[in-house]
Amino acid sequence: MFRQTPARSLVLIVTLAGLAAYASAGGFFAREIVIEIAILAILAISLDVVAGFGGMVSLAHGAMMGLSAYTYAIFSVKLGWPPLPSALLGVAASGIFGTLIGWITGRTTGIFFIMATLAFGQMAYTVFFKWRWLGGDDGLGGLSRFDLGGLGIKMGNSLTFALFALVLVLAVYVAAAWVLRTAFGRTLTGIHVNEDRMRALGVNTVMHRAQALGFSALLAGVAGVLAAQHVQYISPELLVWTVSGEVLIVVILGGLGTLIGPLLGAVIFVLLKHEISGYTNHWHIVIGLLLIATVLAGGRGIYGQVEHWFSRRPPPPAGTAEAHDA
Amino acid sequence: MLEVRKLCKAFGGLKVTRGVTFALEPGERRVILGPNGAGKTTLFNQLVGTLTPSSGDILVEGRSVMGLSVAARARAGLSRSYQKNNLFEDLSVRENLMLAAAAGQGKAHSVWRDSFRDAAVRETVAEVAQQVALTEMLDMPVRSASYGSRRQLEVGLALATRPRILLMDEPTSGVGPTMIEGFHRLLHSLPRELTVLIIEHDMDLAFDVADRITVLNFGEVVFEGTPDETRGNKVVRDIYLGDWQADA
Ligand SMILES: Nc1ncnc2c1ncn2[C@@H]1O[C@H](COP(=O)(O)OP(=O)(O)OP(=O)(O)O)[C@@H](O)[C@H]1O
Ligand SMILES: [Mg+2]
Repeated sequence: MFRQTPARSLVLIVTLAGLAAYASAGGFFAREIVIEIAILAILAISLDVVAGFGGMVSLAHGAMMGLSAYTYAIFSVKLGWPPLPSALLGVAASGIFGTLIGWITGRTTGIFFIMATLAFGQMAYTVFFKWRWLGGDDGLGGLSRFDLGGLGIKMGNSLTFALFALVLVLAVYVAAAWVLRTAFGRTLTGIHVNEDRMRALGVNTVMHRAQALGFSALLAGVAGVLAAQHVQYISPELLVWTVSGEVLIVVILGGLGTLIGPLLGAVIFVLLKHEISGYTNHWHIVIGLLLIATVLAGGRGIYGQVEHWFSRRPPPPAGTAEAHDA
Repeated sequence: MLEVRKLCKAFGGLKVTRGVTFALEPGERRVILGPNGAGKTTLFNQLVGTLTPSSGDILVEGRSVMGLSVAARARAGLSRSYQKNNLFEDLSVRENLMLAAAAGQGKAHSVWRDSFRDAAVRETVAEVAQQVALTEMLDMPVRSASYGSRRQLEVGLALATRPRILLMDEPTSGVGPTMIEGFHRLLHSLPRELTVLIIEHDMDLAFDVADRITVLNFGEVVFEGTPDETRGNKVVRDIYLGDWQADA
């Protein structure tokens, strides 16, 4: 069952504040890194909601992000709509896509679910790859950012945009943590732990899983709009399945089912990537070794492992704090 | 309340349910007896919808539930406990009961409210914990609970949805005499309007709580009657009580 512990809140605040400071103090390159982290973190948090708490390991999260980005482009560039409604439609499109995948994959679990999400993702990729009206494999440019000039905020400024990206990370984390602590999230965990029993208790588990994937896809859609506005250009590369694979690595590295771990995972992943690629082209090997070490250590991920060390000392019985504060 | 009509089920050539017919009155306590492999659990699986019968009909309050999913039948008031524990292993006893109570109260889906903080859900959990003697163990992870406690929780989960028809599959299997006594008390404490169908090997318990007894053998109903009639019946004695008397 998900718990937003004080430690998790602290890590969230410190991490976001640290990234904000890094963006402020650093130059353009630092801000680019922060934005890259933010996009990856949103995707990773989104994936953790379904993978960590619902047992649904999806390889379609890249496609969800890409679909949202393309929908944003269709409405804002092709149809000339203002950015905000276009962005909302992008997020909604991703949510619908996720719900549909969840609905159709229905009762499949484990490896079959992974393969099904991969297939849906690749289908979406192929559509945009071939669709000349949207630039096909050349992609599409000319996307604009939100216009917050009325509030005196200049989104064209790289620092402003980096801070905006961090605000979105916070919003996505809060939304995910909120939902996981509602009846919906409790039931999702119940389905993850024992779907058969949950069904016997009267829960339509297929529908619930579909809704959970839909919610997760909404969050992934936020990353899509952010990515589209960041470089103001989109291409089918956003939807390639390796993007989803990378997100999964980040989630496992940071700590599956901890929600905050994926944020840390994204920070570590992007920083390592940029640090190491300064020395060698084989940064994947380092990430790979780190991943292997994480998995061999028990698969709790970096944050999960730390939490595990601390929880082994004086163990307050799980749930007591929650139990008596009605 | 619950009616089964000419139910048949075969696995390949093996006929596991053969024309089973019976009906439970509202509030009735019915015990199903039968030797190992008689098809008792298979019958339960068909009642709750995890197995589809080859033919026949199942009615709850006069309405066929054949077209309903497992979940829909549960929402119609049918709840079952399992012969082999089927719990939320990674969660605490309290969380297990909370999930069940929330589902039973239709509070499993809100993205706004936390079912675990819902007053009615908590009240049900407290009541059920009392009923199945788990109040002291609510915060224990299910994994580390004893077999006996897990057995009690198995029944607790079925009770926490507040069903109208409760199906229990050998609730006392593998537990000691003290706990069996506890089950007697539990069964007597259940609200009188609750309809209960129990698969049971423990004869004392069967005779103590049953209004009527149905005996299954090789997938067939070979006898139905009151506990007294059961004791005196020759067919039952031959296929079932023989064992029992030898044990006793
Ligand atoms: N899915 C299945 N496929 C094939 N045969 C099955 C299946 N499920 C049960 N059976 C067979 O059906 C028969 C009845 O099994 P069932 O579990 O219903 O018996 P039971 O009366 O509950 O016995 P017990 O007292 O041992 O629990 C057994 O011979 C069993 O092997
Ligand atoms: Mg059985």
